[in-house]
Amino acid sequence: MPVAPIVTGRFQDVAEATAASKGMPRERFTYIHHPVSNKSAAECRKYIEGNDPLTGKRVIEEIVAALTKPLSEEEKRTGFLEKPRERLLKTDTAQNVERQFLENGWTDGLMIALPTEQKVSEMLKGTSHKPDEIVGQMMPSPAQGPWKYTVEMVAVNAVMAGAKPKHLPAILALAATGQGSLPSSTSSMARMMVINGPIRNQLKMNMGIGALGPFDEANAVIGRTWTFITKNLGGGGKAGTTYLGTFGSNYNYNNLCFAEKEEALPSGWKPFHVQKGFKQEESVVSVFNGWTLLNYSAYNPDPYHELMRRQMVALEMSGAGAHHTPGVNIQTAGTLIIDPVTARALKEEESFETKEKLSQWLTEHVHFTMWNYWNAMPDYLKKAREGVQPYASLLKRAPESDSPLQLFSPKAGVEIIVVGGETNPYWYAGDFRYLASVSIDKWK
Amino acid sequence: MKRSIGRLPIGICLFICFFVACTKKPERQMITVLNPVGAPSPTPLIPMAPRLDTLEGKTIYIVDVMYPLTHQLFEEIQKVFSQKYPKTKWVIKSKAGTYFDDDPKLWAEIKASAQGMIIGVGH
Repeated sequence: MPVAPIVTGRFQDVAEATAASKGMPRERFTYIHHPVSNKSAAECRKYIEGNDPLTGKRVIEEIVAALTKPLSEEEKRTGFLEKPRERLLKTDTAQNVERQFLENGWTDGLMIALPTEQKVSEMLKGTSHKPDEIVGQMMPSPAQGPWKYTVEMVAVNAVMAGAKPKHLPAILALAATGQGSLPSSTSSMARMMVINGPIRNQLKMNMGIGALGPFDEANAVIGRTWTFITKNLGGGGKAGTTYLGTFGSNYNYNNLCFAEKEEALPSGWKPFHVQKGFKQEESVVSVFNGWTLLNYSAYNPDPYHELMRRQMVALEMSGAGAHHTPGVNIQTAGTLIIDPVTARALKEEESFETKEKLSQWLTEHVHFTMWNYWNAMPDYLKKAREGVQPYASLLKRAPESDSPLQLFSPKAGVEIIVVGGETNPYWYAGDFRYLASVSIDKWK
Repeated sequence: MKRSIGRLPIGICLFICFFVACTKKPERQMITVLNPVGAPSPTPLIPMAPRLDTLEGKTIYIVDVMYPLTHQLFEEIQKVFSQKYPKTKWVIKSKAGTYFDDDPKLWAEIKASAQGMIIGVGH
């Protein structure tokens, strides 16, 4: 059936790349002015009766042509759309090759190590897996087809990021999650990765002072490689095409790469990978998706869990920003990154014997505020105004008070990771959602 | 003695070459590196559906994918096209769920009832 797709002009690159990835590179798009959302009917009419901002042609005529103009030979073509790939780049001066990497967007804008045969061969000594073994696949954006990659291709990007052979198993496990670090959303998402198990100590990962800062090699290079893999092997992170974050996220420079300080967990509190079903002696990488970390570094007589609850209510405006969109993405996930001092106090003074108990308490006690509840659930508001119970009685509640709807999905809940220098009872509360864990040992 | 003098220029040339090679700046040295970029899996091309010879007498669905606060655009498309092409039936429909969700029932209805579709819009 002939279709005339209409897209706002701001998203031309995304629309065309997505159509091509679906096997229709000649899709007949009509573009109109951006944005349409919240524009009046009169403004929308002007858009329709006006010109396509990209082609200059009349919108009405383009739509009619999309439906009626006979197909060209190109539009009837069958077969496959393939992009040939050479293993080696053209020989050039080091200066020109460096420029090529930078100008093609293959880096994060900082200096890299050039991946010569010798360096890549050295990197591959970090794993027993064959260079041509497929590690996994990644999608440039949710609407586009997957890219597959081999051990050698991952090793090339690890060299560029400054990694050593000893880091390669963790990087391969990360690549095997199939998760990119640069989600395409306009909302400037971030990613986080946590390493558990004996490898933390073998790689001398920082789990103490400054664990989430720019202080240590392993945290820096493993996290940095994730960005390179995403851009170069997953087809993501192309600004304007597969990446649309309006601000971007500074977290993406090393993607919040750190290790859990398992040795400092209070008794009864399990390491994160054990919570996810792995053995304590296994080394595991876990990845998360989110936006924001809210810092708590003050002194307050209230119990910590109550302060955490109050902080987390604010997350309805962060990653949960989509809650303002009626019917979209209701409920989110929470994360706590807490210093061992705080963890001990939560156990010893506030009776949270396990991570799970704290997570459950927060999931049950963090609610949407009423104003957001009505925004997110317009059908309930309509019923409330019609006098239908129990919605009608909720109209009496103040906008800033709790609604009956929990902010966190009971399935996702609140994840807890213990890390930090034990300098004070501090923590971060965030909206990071757990995505996946992969064994690092399998990639040794 | 003569033979030694004849070899001197060759020796000087070799020395110069060695000197140049040793003192060449690293960034000017020729280098071959591995390609850091992968490639998408081959995509089967889908030939586009044949187009209509005319809009007259046809039913065209105008489908709102349900991006928030954009429905007014579709209402205006219906008004404008109904005025301009009165012999065509312009049916406006909202997809079920949010813009993330599929709606197989609607696609089946369109296949059964329409000859073409306008769809949009996002943002």
